[in-house]
Amino acid sequence: MGLAVVAPVAGTVIPLSEVPDPVFAGGLVGPGAAIAPDPAGHRVVAPVGGELVKVKPHAFVVASPQGYAVLVHLGIDTVRLDGAGFTVLAAPGQLVAAGDPVVRWDPAAVATRGLATTCPVVALDAPAGAVTQVATGRVAAGDPLFTWI
Amino acid sequence: MPERRVTVAAPEGLHARPAAQFVKAVADSGAAVTIGRPAGGDPVDARSILAVLTLDVRQGEEVVLRADGTGAVAALERLAGLLAGAVPEGEAGDG
Repeated sequence: MGLAVVAPVAGTVIPLSEVPDPVFAGGLVGPGAAIAPDPAGHRVVAPVGGELVKVKPHAFVVASPQGYAVLVHLGIDTVRLDGAGFTVLAAPGQLVAAGDPVVRWDPAAVATRGLATTCPVVALDAPAGAVTQVATGRVAAGDPLFTWI
Repeated sequence: MPERRVTVAAPEGLHARPAAQFVKAVADSGAAVTIGRPAGGDPVDARSILAVLTLDVRQGEEVVLRADGTGAVAALERLAGLLAGAVPEGEAGDG
């Protein structure tokens, strides 16, 4: 059993430890996986079904009815872009299904600004061993990414 | 219960990285700490990164930290320093 978490963006799965940010890479935010996204602009989807408890242009959190909350962070230090290159498609408090669009962004534009486009997908308030069955290789948005046990 | 008020310095507010560092510092302190706003709203468990993220504190906002138990005052002092930007955050930078 456990909660299936799907890839919010299309790209290549990499270990969280390879995220170019020591706080994410060290698992301080929580366990999970990261995706090196395809450069073309695309929609970012909810990794689980539930309530969109927080949404910013560069990051959002979805909390499932069972209390599992997943953070999706679009790129590193992208708060500095102040929303430029991102379009929020959903509202805070909205109920979403896994795979529903939440944000549209353009990773190539983020890269042009000199920022990493790596997307950590993190299980919040989860112990280190809570994430299993992490996908490898390429994923499309909505493909299985990991299981939260 | 001891409490401290502090203005959050992190440019992105208490979002992913500063929130994680704060929650880690709370866990390390061993104290039962809550964080909330001075006016209204229930304080939340500062040991939960989800709770801290959902509180959605912006840069320049004042928060109230409360703690109970042994070492509460010292823990609040250190946590307030962290939020105010007085404590170096190592390689992680400011935001």
